[in-house]
Amino acid sequence: MAVLLTAQDLTTNFYTYEGVVRALDKFTLSIDHGCTFGLVGESGCGKSVTVRSMLRVIQSPGVIEGGRVLFSEQAGTDPIDLLELSEEEMEGIRGDSISMIFQEPNAALNPVLTIGYQVAESFLFHRTAQMSTRICEKIDGGVSFGLLTPLYRAMLSIAAKSPKSRFLKACSRIPLLRRWDTPVKDEAMRRAVDIIGKLGIANPEEIVTRYPHNLSGGMKQRIVIAIALACHPTLLIADEATSNLDVTVQAQILQLLNDLKKESISSILLITHDLGVVAETCEKVGVMYAGTLCETGKVEEVFSRPLHPYTQALLTSVPKFHQEGELQSIEGSVPNLVYPPSGCRFHPRCPKAMEQCSIEKPELKELRKGHFVACHYAEAQVGGLV
Amino acid sequence: MTAYIIRRLLFLVFVLFGVSILIFGLLSTFSPERRAAAYVTTPQQAENIPLIIKEYGLDKPIYVQYGKWIQQVAQGNLGWSLVAARPVAKAFWNYFPTTLELNLFASPLVVIVGIWLGTMSGVYRDSFFDHSTRIAAIVGWSLPTFLFALILLMIFYGYLDLFSPGILSSELALWVANNPDQFVRYTGMYSIDGLLNGRPDITLNALNHLVLPVLTQVIVVVALLMRVMRSGMIEEMSKDYVITAKAKGADFKTIYQKHAKRNALIPVITVAGQLVALSMEGSIAVEVVFNRQGMGWWLAESATQLDMPVLMSVCMFVGLVFVISNLIIDIMYAYVDPRIRLH
Amino acid sequence: METSTTMDAVQAHEHPRLRELKFTLVRIFRNPSAVIGVVLLSFFIGVAIAAPYIAPPKYAHAPYKMPHKGFSPTPKPPSERFIMGTTSGQYDILYGVVWGTRTAFKIGLLVVGFAGLVGVTLGVVAGYYGGWFDEILMRFVDIVWSIPLLVLAMTIVVAFGRGLENIIIALALVEWRWYVRVIRSEVLKLRHQEFVQAAKLMGVSDRKIILRHILPNSIYPVLIMGSMDMGSMVITASFLSFVGLGAPRGYADWGQMVALARNYIVGPANNPLQFWYTIFFPGICIILFVLGWNLLGDALRDAFDPKLRRR
Repeated sequence: MAVLLTAQDLTTNFYTYEGVVRALDKFTLSIDHGCTFGLVGESGCGKSVTVRSMLRVIQSPGVIEGGRVLFSEQAGTDPIDLLELSEEEMEGIRGDSISMIFQEPNAALNPVLTIGYQVAESFLFHRTAQMSTRICEKIDGGVSFGLLTPLYRAMLSIAAKSPKSRFLKACSRIPLLRRWDTPVKDEAMRRAVDIIGKLGIANPEEIVTRYPHNLSGGMKQRIVIAIALACHPTLLIADEATSNLDVTVQAQILQLLNDLKKESISSILLITHDLGVVAETCEKVGVMYAGTLCETGKVEEVFSRPLHPYTQALLTSVPKFHQEGELQSIEGSVPNLVYPPSGCRFHPRCPKAMEQCSIEKPELKELRKGHFVACHYAEAQVGGLV
Repeated sequence: MTAYIIRRLLFLVFVLFGVSILIFGLLSTFSPERRAAAYVTTPQQAENIPLIIKEYGLDKPIYVQYGKWIQQVAQGNLGWSLVAARPVAKAFWNYFPTTLELNLFASPLVVIVGIWLGTMSGVYRDSFFDHSTRIAAIVGWSLPTFLFALILLMIFYGYLDLFSPGILSSELALWVANNPDQFVRYTGMYSIDGLLNGRPDITLNALNHLVLPVLTQVIVVVALLMRVMRSGMIEEMSKDYVITAKAKGADFKTIYQKHAKRNALIPVITVAGQLVALSMEGSIAVEVVFNRQGMGWWLAESATQLDMPVLMSVCMFVGLVFVISNLIIDIMYAYVDPRIRLH
Repeated sequence: METSTTMDAVQAHEHPRLRELKFTLVRIFRNPSAVIGVVLLSFFIGVAIAAPYIAPPKYAHAPYKMPHKGFSPTPKPPSERFIMGTTSGQYDILYGVVWGTRTAFKIGLLVVGFAGLVGVTLGVVAGYYGGWFDEILMRFVDIVWSIPLLVLAMTIVVAFGRGLENIIIALALVEWRWYVRVIRSEVLKLRHQEFVQAAKLMGVSDRKIILRHILPNSIYPVLIMGSMDMGSMVITASFLSFVGLGAPRGYADWGQMVALARNYIVGPANNPLQFWYTIFFPGICIILFVLGWNLLGDALRDAFDPKLRRR
């Protein structure tokens, strides 16, 4: 399968008062076309930082220090490095080719803007040219917008060619001329109503006029998903998208994502701390610990034959239905990333730690077919690709 | 909404009643002779103080006095102003337009400049621009209005001879006073009356006299607004919905103008009442230093002459303005923040 | 690795409140505005303490009375004898500025101290117990609130009579309303929090809850406001002096010195800035004094603001 997105040696630091938090340390990950990839790890291990770094939406005081994020939207084309793109080019990719669903639907929506506007924005950012062309065709086909039709026609034909032109921006400050985008906005709103309706929300026409505080948590999460899906992204990143929802709503949303994947999106990167969700919905999984990827591979492979001691410990700490005896937990606590442990970041808590572990950072190696592990111990045990 | 406004209007009556009791309580520290001034309306009456003391029961218990006083106030009889040498109610219309004029010019500037500067320094936090506006704001906040006004006068009137104190140049003021039939004072504000009477020269002259007062007022009031807007912007820019907008592909300007700014305006509205109070206080100092005969000047002048009736009426008036502006602010609040419902 | 363990060990031994205080102090003094503020204030405190040595009083029984040589209204420029010159009425500017520092501290500390004490006491009681006392107090505050500080203070000064003492009383009588509102809203936030509820369930007396839990957690905004208020009260008092409601003529007070200079801000046509010193010295004192307190208050706010903290 062709690779869609690869993160190589991604390093992100946060410059806080207490010191430099090394949140991501040479993080490497790759996602294939058409795959649902689950990224798991404890809270605070840098899952959100990873995806935010990939999309370059890290907020101050975070800084992406190095690495590459290679993205090839069409299978087989040359990949582009997202970290090298200009901010403007990046704006064209965010929300269009790659989009994101956030953890907390209450905070992810702007409280003072209507639902409709917030969804329509996605179309306005990425589909203005397309929508303008359509409206021009309609005008040529006889649809009239009243007295201002010729004005609309002229401005829209410019927008159809270059939606971000300076001229249009300047015109947006002049009364009367600024109204050129009214039909575009109306069209974007119609599309917003459409997509909200498709996500299974009743009376979308009414919902678009509401504000976020009028909706329930599940509804808000659907709206956030609608925003992300608006432009049919190639990659959808769901950052703990279901963690704060009731179990029933959670199941609905997961089902929804699954259905959508069949229709409109190519790949999903699902970030969660819930191993059950990963086992149920994902094809591949990556296990993260303290800013590094420890193990990745097919879900069945990783979950049934884990190689990394951290993955093993994580799996034994999941409560099971017919469990007898005490629940296992991992000794020690998550390290303070201002002073990360040397070598392998897991070694202070690792039951299998060797001398080498505190000195040398293990590299991610393919120990079984399609099963990558970064661990000196596992390497010594399995002894390379069998 | 209507019910809310009615309730707030009832609150207004309550506050005014409270203010009147408070002020009357202060008045009662005076001797009956001096208190009598609060009831005088003509120069003739001023010569018959004992008569007034008797008429209004100034030697009677305080609640009797209050009842009689509030009756007078309700009839629009607010006492005699020494400074203006006419009844307070009449003198009021002399002074009020001047103050209104000052604030009509200053307030929009305060709002526009304050919000713009606050937004920019919040958005570009820790930039050179941010640091300079922050320093300017804290120095502006530390400048006593009257001192700042004096320094401006020293430079722009004394040294550069560009602007002068007062409301109008003395020749024009004299002409206006001598030709009441040719120059009708529709609004009492020279800058507007000049245009209405077809005398753009008077408008220009009035505007020239307004430059320094407006500048002082703006600089002193704008610091607070700027600071609140800045911290509001900083807070909003770190919220999750900003990342959502960014992940949608929004450009930076859309993010702060469309998404963060409206949220940051909410805390600004909560200090709007303070801004109104600050403008009122600022007007006093500005009018005293620039010698503009407005409400503030009148108040300060009356205070130095221990002219209690004027102070009392001004307190009541200011209370009225303040409560009404707070009502307007609350309605604005509900408009900006859809989560607020007035009831 | 070595360093991190030792650091953890050191931090673990400290009392958490002490550690937090240390952290806060470091935060405050990392901010340059706090440093400038503290330097300015230390300077003024030094001047106030050393006033009798810098400018020995002429009248031992009334040190605040500015000595004057002659009665001429025209100010005289700085000379060897009067290094800051003399203002209208031949009052020595240096003397007035030095003793005016004491006046400024007197005004600020008395007003803020009284208003803070009354405001905090009433606010904590009203916020913690609620009920009819809270209702009556807050309606009273609503009434007082509707008149700006300067207008109400002016009215009170006129009612009580001119003079510095009455200015102080008037400002304190108006300013407490701020402290009530601020601390009450803080207490209301705290009252329903788990740790207060837990203390209540454990049978801790109200007095102890207020002193141990409520006050330490709600006092920071009051400290910030108190610092800012020291400046703004001195501004307001100096304006009241400036209009002529303050101490009698000749009293060492910055506001009055600015008033004395008022007629001389514009000199003769050939040298319009001839009398610059009359306004410059008292003016710069007011500005720097207020600036010092505001910078300190600003740094305190940055340090205590939970949103800006820990970044």
